[in-house]
Amino acid sequence: MDIIGIDVGGTNTDAAFIRHGRVVGMAKVPTNHEDLIESTKQAMNEIMAYYATSGQVQLHLSTTLSTNAIIEGTGSPAAALGMPGPGVNLAALDLGFPFFPLGGYIDHRGREVAELNEGEVLAAAKEAKRAGAEALAIAGKFSHRNPVHEQRAGALVAASGLGFSNVTLGHRLSGRANFPRRVVTAYLNSRVASLQTHFCRIIENLLEMEKYRAIREVLILKADGGTMSLEESCQLPVETILSGPAASILGAQALSKHTQENAVIVDIGGTTTDIAVIVAGEPLYQRRGADIAGYRTLVPALFTRSIGLGGDSEVHVQVEEGEVRFRLGPRRAGTPAAMGGSRPTPTDAAVALEMARIGDRGRARECIKELAEPLGLSWRQAAQGIIEAFTGQLVEEVRAIYQRLAGIPLYTVSEILAPPDFHPRVMVGLGGPAQVFIPLAAKLMGLPWEILPFSEGANAIGAAAARPTAAITLHADTELEVLTIPEIGYHGRIDRALLFDRQRARQEALRQAASYAQRLGLPDHEDVYIVEEESFNVVRGFHTVGRIHSIRAQLRPRVRRIEVTEDIADGKA
Amino acid sequence: MLTAKHKVGLIFFPAFDWCITPDHPEREERLLYTRDQILEEGLLDVEGIEEYRPFVAEDKDILRAHVCVPSVAARVTESHRIAVGGTMLAADLVLDKKVDRAFALLRPPGHHAMRIVHGSRGFCTVNNEAIMVEHIRHRLSPKTRIAIVDTDAHHADGTQDIFYNDPGILHISIHQDGRTLYPGTGDVQERGGPAAYGQTVNIPLPPGTGDEGLLYVMEKAVMPILADWEPDIIINAAGQDNHFTDPLTHMNVSARGYARLTDMLGPDIVVLEGGYSIEGGLPYVNVGILLALAGLDYSHVKEPVPQPTQPPQVMGQIERITETVMRAWATRDQVDRSRLFGEGEYFQRHRAIYYDTDNLLEEQRELIRLCPDCSGWRLIYSKASGYYSSLTSRGQIAAVVIPWLACPKCRAEAEDKYELIAKEGRCRQVFLQDVARDAFTNWRK
Ligand SMILES: [Zn+2]
Ligand SMILES: [Zn+2]
Repeated sequence: MDIIGIDVGGTNTDAAFIRHGRVVGMAKVPTNHEDLIESTKQAMNEIMAYYATSGQVQLHLSTTLSTNAIIEGTGSPAAALGMPGPGVNLAALDLGFPFFPLGGYIDHRGREVAELNEGEVLAAAKEAKRAGAEALAIAGKFSHRNPVHEQRAGALVAASGLGFSNVTLGHRLSGRANFPRRVVTAYLNSRVASLQTHFCRIIENLLEMEKYRAIREVLILKADGGTMSLEESCQLPVETILSGPAASILGAQALSKHTQENAVIVDIGGTTTDIAVIVAGEPLYQRRGADIAGYRTLVPALFTRSIGLGGDSEVHVQVEEGEVRFRLGPRRAGTPAAMGGSRPTPTDAAVALEMARIGDRGRARECIKELAEPLGLSWRQAAQGIIEAFTGQLVEEVRAIYQRLAGIPLYTVSEILAPPDFHPRVMVGLGGPAQVFIPLAAKLMGLPWEILPFSEGANAIGAAAARPTAAITLHADTELEVLTIPEIGYHGRIDRALLFDRQRARQEALRQAASYAQRLGLPDHEDVYIVEEESFNVVRGFHTVGRIHSIRAQLRPRVRRIEVTEDIADGKA
Repeated sequence: MLTAKHKVGLIFFPAFDWCITPDHPEREERLLYTRDQILEEGLLDVEGIEEYRPFVAEDKDILRAHVCVPSVAARVTESHRIAVGGTMLAADLVLDKKVDRAFALLRPPGHHAMRIVHGSRGFCTVNNEAIMVEHIRHRLSPKTRIAIVDTDAHHADGTQDIFYNDPGILHISIHQDGRTLYPGTGDVQERGGPAAYGQTVNIPLPPGTGDEGLLYVMEKAVMPILADWEPDIIINAAGQDNHFTDPLTHMNVSARGYARLTDMLGPDIVVLEGGYSIEGGLPYVNVGILLALAGLDYSHVKEPVPQPTQPPQVMGQIERITETVMRAWATRDQVDRSRLFGEGEYFQRHRAIYYDTDNLLEEQRELIRLCPDCSGWRLIYSKASGYYSSLTSRGQIAAVVIPWLACPKCRAEAEDKYELIAKEGRCRQVFLQDVARDAFTNWRK
């Protein structure tokens, strides 16, 4: 089957056409911020030129729709109802949206301590509606251990006839702890739900059209680098945030020769450089969830750090004790002088030194010279200084990332004695300036390097390379005889709890993950495995009365390997 | 998003794969629910609360505070080394000004571990706070004035033992009255050795004491004593077993009570000690302490179960104890020390120390040189045996202790004594603990 990957990015919309695991065509159109659908359509039209005459096409779509809505504060006006229980005073927490605290609470074992006040739920929902909310989020503390309050409140609101366009329940979004993030995630989900639904309907209509007849299936990219169906994206639109950066990482993974190693991925653009971390062939995740526009969420997302350093960065000069030092970024200077700009940039330094063969070398040298002369330097010295500063700043950031990773908290003796090894074995570079800076940065870090064949469009290739992801969190408390799987809203009794040992818990988690993946219509749904596991005794007095098993199982995340035919790669297309 | 008023370094190490025995209170899941509560409250997202990973302490770190018989390796597990390393890291973070305050929320605990370590007692093997104190003095100066306020429900007999004759340390232990609880010591009259008399302050509280009583002694005794003594660094050994749900004690303190205590004390470093109400107490107490340390609102922290009220007769008793403590503090320099410690060259004491966790009995004879120029070198003879049978005796050992800022005469005497005992060969093992030179040697038969 053919796959089209499209990434609607901030500036450009990239598209890639993949046939039998090879890139056969690429396209790029400028992104129209007012009309992302239009940009998507344009990219589809251009890339469909590579369609042969028959066969089915799968479309993988990564959009900034939700990301933009969240950053720009658009989407449906929404409010959140929360059951915070005692603890941190949420009133002191400026969530940035209307939040209605309600009575009733669940403890850390998932036991109901105080009942939900149904009158309060309805009154708050009415008040939210009156204040203009069109969508509603409902989230309780520890709802991932017991979702009954959220479910009951959701049912009450649904039956109330208040007519919210979306009601999001917190427990459906993640099996992980963190009540403030749960509230925020549910709120954002409810806010962008209508937008996403509208988007999905338009895409479905497009597929009815004759020219798109070959496109049989549309999959939407998520922040964790996986895909989901159009239908699911309407339920969990918040998961589509930050899919662009994830697509770039996937692109690098799909194209790199280093598939099983620890690697650092460095994507150098004009304004920013994005750094991602690969551990034993798998990208590292954000520890607690995606952060976006000041909101901290529970959305699973690939780790990426963006720094204000790129080919078009501003060049600053510091003179300390007669010594000239260059410092680059974080802002963009503009177009490099070599390409018609007026201020010197790192790209100009590279062009001047003939490390890059683009634009007008004479203009680049002239511009660097203007900067160099008052400092008593030759243009060559200044250009070399800028290149060194760029490399130094980049390496400093990469090292800082790994230093933080080397100190991540660990909670067992065995892990502290044998901590996980994140250290990179190779630096994988992409983006226009990568040719210049990656070999230098890698050398400074004592690493081998690889530069990927695409300076642009790796994000679209990554979108095409993405596969579905799905995960569940099983929490079984054999003393309370309760089993909870928040992602599917399951909260029920364990039969013969005494026999529910670790082995049974594992089997159950795998079975549930597989059936969840199957319900989502995912291929290879039997290929599930356990990613995290905990098992603790419950002791009363001096007797063990039960066990608590907490298991996270997921569909094995995969990335399609994608090869590049010579004529498509950089500079030859 | 919340922003902390004081930047807090959290060293959380629950040791999820370590226990004394699987049904022992000091077992894997002791901090499981605490972790769940801290994560769910979103406290690790608070701007200004930063989590750190402990390092693994080395023998030398431990030997600054302890004499481990026959060796550090024989007595401590990796888990102890990590708890020690985490506690030392808490101090480093504060000393390096990376944070304003630090919370070593980790296990296993340490405050029942005394200077001589034959095994484990009161679930403790080595003393996290004491090792940290010596680490601080090693890094800064032996003249650093350090106050330890131990708010565990059990008397901090280990910490008391280690700093009993140390003029640089003020050790205050608030605990449930020793006549009603392990380890039985901690009377107001235990006030320290000849060189630090009055700087061991014991405040035994009657069973049933709640927030009101605890905060009363904080306000009327602990805070004035601290203000008077003017420490450079305040450490809170924050046991959480005064909680009203604790299964091992009989106190009525709430999570909010602990938070108010923390708020009032404003410690530089907090170290978890005991506390075995792992579901109903610890999650709430730890959230309360963390919020208070960060200078955030803890008024909404509340346990699911209602707090029993403090019995009415208790307050009167607490007032009388406070009065006794304050009178003793005010008159500590007027006491005739020669009457308490004699006028000879040495003060001598004999003790029997029971190791409940390992079921050992240690017999100890200690001599402290009464020196006008320093706190005096010490000699400790010690013998541990299985409690039920003297057949398992491990033989006598001796430890020569040269304190911080020892005078040249004491140092010379101590060094000679170490050589002499070794030469005599009557002890199975002889130790020399010399913190000032950071030298810890021993001789073995
Ligand atoms: Zn205790
Ligand atoms: Zn002396």
